[in-house]
Amino acid sequence: MELFEIRNLSFCYPVREREALTDINLTIEQGEYITICGKSGSGKTTLLRHLKPPVTPKGKKSGQVLFEGTPVEALDLKTQAAHIGYVMQNPDNQIVTDKVWHELAFGLESLGYDTRTIRLKVAEMASYFGIQDWFYKNVNELSGGQKQLLNLASIMAMQPKVLICDEPTSQLDPIAASDFLQTIKKINLELGTTIIMTEHRLEGVLHASDRVVVMEAGKIIACGAPRLVGDMLKKENSDMAAALPAPMRIYYGVESSLESPLIVGEEKSSFGSSLAVGEGKRRFESPKTVEEEKSSFECPLTVREGRSWLERKLKCEGKALKKDRLDEPDLPEETGKPAIYAKELWYRYSKEGADVLKGASISVPKGSFYAIVGGNGTGKSTFLRAICGILKPYSGKIKIEGTPLDKYKKGELFQGHLAMLPQNPQSLFVKKTVREELLEMVHGSEAEQDVDAIAEKCLISHLLDKHPFDISGGEQQRTALAKVLLTKPSILLMDEPTKGMDNHFKQSLVSILRKLENLTILMVSHDIEFCAKYADIVSMFFDGGIITTNTARKFFSGNSFYTTSANRMSRHIFVNAVTEEDVITLCRENL
Amino acid sequence: MKFENYHPCINFIYFLFFMVFILCFNHPVYVAIAFLCSFAYSIKLNGKREVIFNFILVLFVVIYCLWYSYYNHFGLTNIRKNFIGNNITAEALFYGLVRGTKAAAFIMTFACMLAVFSTDKVIYLAGRLFPKLSLFISIFLRSFSRIRERHAAVNISRKGIGMGKGQSTIISGIRNRLRILSIIITWTLEDYIESSMSMKCRGYTLKHRTAFSIYRFDNRDRGLVILLLAGITMTFMAAWLNQTNILYDPEIIMYRPKGWSYIFYLSYACFCLLPMGTEIINEIKYKRRQRLNGPTFRGEENAYGELL
Repeated sequence: MELFEIRNLSFCYPVREREALTDINLTIEQGEYITICGKSGSGKTTLLRHLKPPVTPKGKKSGQVLFEGTPVEALDLKTQAAHIGYVMQNPDNQIVTDKVWHELAFGLESLGYDTRTIRLKVAEMASYFGIQDWFYKNVNELSGGQKQLLNLASIMAMQPKVLICDEPTSQLDPIAASDFLQTIKKINLELGTTIIMTEHRLEGVLHASDRVVVMEAGKIIACGAPRLVGDMLKKENSDMAAALPAPMRIYYGVESSLESPLIVGEEKSSFGSSLAVGEGKRRFESPKTVEEEKSSFECPLTVREGRSWLERKLKCEGKALKKDRLDEPDLPEETGKPAIYAKELWYRYSKEGADVLKGASISVPKGSFYAIVGGNGTGKSTFLRAICGILKPYSGKIKIEGTPLDKYKKGELFQGHLAMLPQNPQSLFVKKTVREELLEMVHGSEAEQDVDAIAEKCLISHLLDKHPFDISGGEQQRTALAKVLLTKPSILLMDEPTKGMDNHFKQSLVSILRKLENLTILMVSHDIEFCAKYADIVSMFFDGGIITTNTARKFFSGNSFYTTSANRMSRHIFVNAVTEEDVITLCRENL
Repeated sequence: MKFENYHPCINFIYFLFFMVFILCFNHPVYVAIAFLCSFAYSIKLNGKREVIFNFILVLFVVIYCLWYSYYNHFGLTNIRKNFIGNNITAEALFYGLVRGTKAAAFIMTFACMLAVFSTDKVIYLAGRLFPKLSLFISIFLRSFSRIRERHAAVNISRKGIGMGKGQSTIISGIRNRLRILSIIITWTLEDYIESSMSMKCRGYTLKHRTAFSIYRFDNRDRGLVILLLAGITMTFMAAWLNQTNILYDPEIIMYRPKGWSYIFYLSYACFCLLPMGTEIINEIKYKRRQRLNGPTFRGEENAYGELL
């Protein structure tokens, strides 16, 4: 049965000229799991918001959205509230009350249930989602993942027929994100609830989805089963191909290199193209030939499928591999003064509290891109803050560019030496426009030129007159970076710079960082794939200290769980392939 | 079973009446009972720290009583003259003592109340009176903690670029604070838009909204209510029968204890000790059960026999 039917939907925001949605036609069946993907600004969120009246934006709209045959605008409040669940991006802003139990009951109170019924339903939800342990807690004691799970549970308590999720995991760390997506899948499988979701981390959702809808510039450019859509995207050489899961990208990389020599470095050098706005009315058609269908059947979606595909591909004839490893230089010997040097830092937040840093040491060579990876709550961010003197460790030594931290005069450290890009770029903004934001950092006659120069470097020249809260997440990140770079630091500390960003934005971030010469970067991140691809040195942070340090390739090829999907997919065949490019290169050499 | 785990209405009734009784009764026996009971209960609830606090309170009672008798000279029984030549009377001294003790009992009961009443209970009780109020308090508390988190985040971010608190001159520091204030207001308003959307998405604008509470009123609550009401009734009866009456001016005239007065005293003491008594009885029961059943696994149950 059709749950949603979208007929010729077009939409234009007030004041804007370009349509945000153009002629969308889509039918969603009961019980389907649909993933909508596309670059940011492609109209995914706008489309989702048309499915739920209270969040539908105001503007010029034509066409219809039908829910079980009734136009959504005509639905009565109660049906709309109970049957269409909507989970938003930011876990914090959706939570209204201060207690977990109250939040769970909120929707049910609205529907006017009596206390007995609510008690039962709340108990059911808490048990189903495993919330009972933190049932009485204050909301502000929860982690991001728990908050988002709470949002989900409090919506599910109303027993919706469809669950609409707008990038629900973008603010979560990878482990919480995969837990959340598992729960969504469980809801879909066990309760038959229809799922419509947008995601930029396709790794976690693609294999679970029944259909994938790809949007570009307000249009649906592809729609179908995950493998078909992957094929379409690859054939069209779409920008969205970069967002596919690693096994799919490797598959396409290897397959296409068999047909015609593929330039492997292409993806790395295509930063510019990632920003180009897709244009034109392209509509893919499903492949029809037998070979195409066969190939799309073969395409691996998950690491498991990827492993067996790789094995079939390379080992079917039983002959030994020509080459199973890539050359990798050793960790360079330390020469000269390190940019950052910290020895055995100990820190705790309160007198009675537990130690957060337990003898953490680090030495970051000048000019390197150094990444620290590790789980949530291990003290990574605390370590970063201790290094730049925001927190004062009670024991240990810190030297910045050879000089002890306390030898720097007040304010001197953050002028030309050190700067930190915070996890949430929004927390850096205090002004009404991006330009004023940047001007806050510079003084003197050349202020304007400095600002223009850095804006150009950070690709935000076209945003200078906008309010910093009105631009997209990736643009905010670049604005924050520009602001931080205006202090002309020689060392840049970054706290989770890729959080909530899609692949295009990550690539543009890297392209900006590459433009800066003589900059030492120390980054704390959850993003394994990002670190593997771009960092020079990677350290693992656990239990208040650095456990191990190595070059990115050695580090990740040495791990078996905490490593990239390309590595997990190929580790039974190749010794040290870490990124997709590595796997593709090695495959090409062996075929 | 702790007293604080009973229904909030019961907690409320107990503390309301106890405090009213403390304030109204001047009869030394009643004051003494209230003082001793609140002394014991506050130590039971708050532990060692409260002992020190309570003894400091006693010290204050003595000081107050001396001070009071020094400046008030009603009464007929002179003890001695102070250095100005005014009489220090036994009545004034005694009345001062009673007033001081009452105040101390009140403060100690208040400390007990703070320990028993969580914000949850206050919100619940407010919600009983005005159903919408409890939701708004809840929303307010939520946004309050959000603002605090925000403020901390902004401060740290600005410190990371050398523009934080204490990294600049005083004047630019003030400017800095104003900027932070303004952005936090913007931020909060921005959040409210999304929060209100989330409320609407979950049907906040529907009519006939109910107010859910996690508290249940069970048989054990009913039992305790009956005991509480019995104690309150007895105390009112005592007041009605002039048991609690006393005059200090011009001389101490009070209701002399007769045979059945002791029943009233006992019932008042029972009322005052009811919360502590239930807790102690439950602890004894638990210990006896543990002795009979042998040791249970550690961590399975807490000292009150509640499953963890």
